[in-house]
Amino acid sequence: MNIRLEYVLFGFGILFCLAGVGYLAAEYVKNLSEGGKLVSLLLTVAMFAFLSKYFENIGW
Amino acid sequence: MAAKRRNLYLYLTLICFFGIIAIFITDGYMGVYDTVYITAEEREQKIESDIWQRNDPYWSAGVTRGEKAFIRYEVDNRRFSRYEADLEVSVWQMQEKVSDVLEQQITIEAFGKAEIEWTIDSAELVPPDAQPEQRFDYTLTIKRGDIERNIILYINPSPYTIKTVPAPPR
Repeated sequence: MNIRLEYVLFGFGILFCLAGVGYLAAEYVKNLSEGGKLVSLLLTVAMFAFLSKYFENIGW
Repeated sequence: MAAKRRNLYLYLTLICFFGIIAIFITDGYMGVYDTVYITAEEREQKIESDIWQRNDPYWSAGVTRGEKAFIRYEVDNRRFSRYEADLEVSVWQMQEKVSDVLEQQITIEAFGKAEIEWTIDSAELVPPDAQPEQRFDYTLTIKRGDIERNIILYINPSPYTIKTVPAPPR
């Protein structure tokens, strides 16, 4: 049970971010233009790729 | 050096995240959106603005003959500037205008809404000499500035039509 507090906070932060994006997606993705949808998809892929790389570098 | 590089990935993640949020706000939320509510045959239909962006630009609603359709048109101005447009509502059949329903100018302040209501009386549209079991199709056209919304109105025969039955011979 030696979990560092900052990791717990990171976890909460990530959860809140995903919840926020999920809410925005549910409400407004239908109004996005085709270009907007494509750029959002690319940014989402890049976001998860960079996040994975960050976790890899900190030793997860 | 390793810590700097590690933080670089975190910053890139944050940039992507805020980029997505910015796209949702500027492209998905901002703009002028309209919603049509049609109440007919004791139920309300909601036609949101994203429906018009699909391949089929027509939506349909049914009205029982002799009854009325109550239509509410809501325009949501999610911009920092005032929105002004001419609103014209008319009913068409076979590319010919049957009647003008409404003609007015709408002005909506920034991040405001406007609601316009009108009624379509099916009894006024159907020709008086039409057969009771006959069905009619009309197109309700809502023109707001350069934007046109078309809704097909099906005027269905009343299920309670009284039929006269000849008396049996004695």
